[in-house]
Amino acid sequence: MVANYVLGDTAWIAILIGGALCFLAAACFSELNGMLPSAAGIRLYFSRAFNDQVSLVVSLLYMLVVVIGVVGVESYILSKVLNEAFPFIPPYCWIVVMLLLVTALNLRGVKIAGVFQDVATYSLIVVTLLIGLYALYKVGFKLNAPLAPGGAEGIINAVAVGVFLFVGFEWVTPLVEEVTQVKQISRGMMISLGILSVVYAVFTVAMTASVPKEILLASPAPQLVFARTILGDFGTSLMIVIIFATSLKTFNAGIISVSRFMYASAREHVLPAVFSRISMRYFTPWVSIITLFFIGLLAAGLTLITNRYQVLVGLAAAMESIVYAMAGLAVISLRRREPGKERPYLIKGGYLIPIITVLVFTLLAVAVLATDLSALLYIAVAFIVVLIYVKTAVPRIKKKYENSRPAARRRPARVQVGMEDKDKL
Amino acid sequence: MATHSEINESLQAFTENFNKNDRLKIMNRDWNRVVVVKATDVESVHTWILKNGVLTLKEGLTDDPDLTVISDSETLSDVFYGDVTPIEPYNNGTLRIIGTEDDITRLDFICLMIWGE
Repeated sequence: MVANYVLGDTAWIAILIGGALCFLAAACFSELNGMLPSAAGIRLYFSRAFNDQVSLVVSLLYMLVVVIGVVGVESYILSKVLNEAFPFIPPYCWIVVMLLLVTALNLRGVKIAGVFQDVATYSLIVVTLLIGLYALYKVGFKLNAPLAPGGAEGIINAVAVGVFLFVGFEWVTPLVEEVTQVKQISRGMMISLGILSVVYAVFTVAMTASVPKEILLASPAPQLVFARTILGDFGTSLMIVIIFATSLKTFNAGIISVSRFMYASAREHVLPAVFSRISMRYFTPWVSIITLFFIGLLAAGLTLITNRYQVLVGLAAAMESIVYAMAGLAVISLRRREPGKERPYLIKGGYLIPIITVLVFTLLAVAVLATDLSALLYIAVAFIVVLIYVKTAVPRIKKKYENSRPAARRRPARVQVGMEDKDKL
Repeated sequence: MATHSEINESLQAFTENFNKNDRLKIMNRDWNRVVVVKATDVESVHTWILKNGVLTLKEGLTDDPDLTVISDSETLSDVFYGDVTPIEPYNNGTLRIIGTEDDITRLDFICLMIWGE
């Protein structure tokens, strides 16, 4: 998709620009994270920077759009890829199997072991890079006009969609309470952005240099077409394994994060209390997990029926851009509201980087939504629904909780010694 | 501002309610943890040791806790008396918990089991 907006083999420019812009957002998240180290993440940052209602609306919208967008797109691509490899199995079956597997793992509380995650992630990075470099070697490193991307509109749209490649880099900030030094979080974010920018740039350019863009664009899994072209059946099998592994990790990460968010929201009385139900056996928020399973099935099913996965990509990219712009605004706001608060990571250059972050990501969000009116419509509808929910349902839930609380506090009232008694003493 | 003894009383209340709850003791029999509770505005540090489903409280700090709960004295007293759920002050940054996400969720769940919704 990124390559389609620009001319020749120039997608690498958009991807590197997207990565560099994400560095700006990462800097903002680093300052916020250092100042307010908490797994509550944007829920806390935006609550302090703006107000609780804004924070709640954005957090709920973010979780809703990203989970639907990510699950919808990933499951669609995965089902199409696996259906190509195993045509006798309908695509939706793969979606059901994948979601069942991930849901079962999450219900059971089985974590994909840290070491396995690390090995899988680094292997994917290395393999993707090697395939890209091999493909470029096969075409003799000859690229079609690699430095002439075309008009500004194309570049802007390419960068906006390219931001989607980096979705989730900020999800590392909730781990701040699990690391020994807060700086490890910001360092990790920056390093991962750098590595991903290079890997994606190499891979995307290798794709467009090896396979005509029209063929790539016509397929929901262009990486499969590319791998088949470069490495034949071996490439196809390898790419299927890669896609399967990445989808599994994405689904797993998505369900873990969002189910915990739903649990915490229910405990905070902004979602119905039923979402705080925890399995007595496995200590997992089973109602939230199963709800997400059904939401995932619905999102994936609708995507499969409509084939409009690209709208979801635009939707998720726009939402991420909005959140990154708000992160920049939050930095500015908190510097004014809480100037004396300790900031272990302070962005250099005063307000320059936060301001650029706000402007750039606002522009990108507008660019995506202006180009894709369906994404604009969906995000507008989702925003209105969430806003109505926050304004009407949340006060009702809070009131219900207040009414159900014991009339008297459990904490004993402090006994005040009166002045007369003090005199007597 | 709550006093050290008020915090101590709230933690004692929590400990007693935990140990009275057989279900909690069975559920946590394999979840051995050391939890430090620290107030930011008064001199008050306590350590909980949860071992084989039994919770014990002592005053003072311990090296290498699994979880560290940090907040102002009023919030700590309110949370451990069950007048406030831990998530509310946690989400507004008043309560800080250092530990794995699973352990943080488990601690909140224990509060839920003892004090209800």
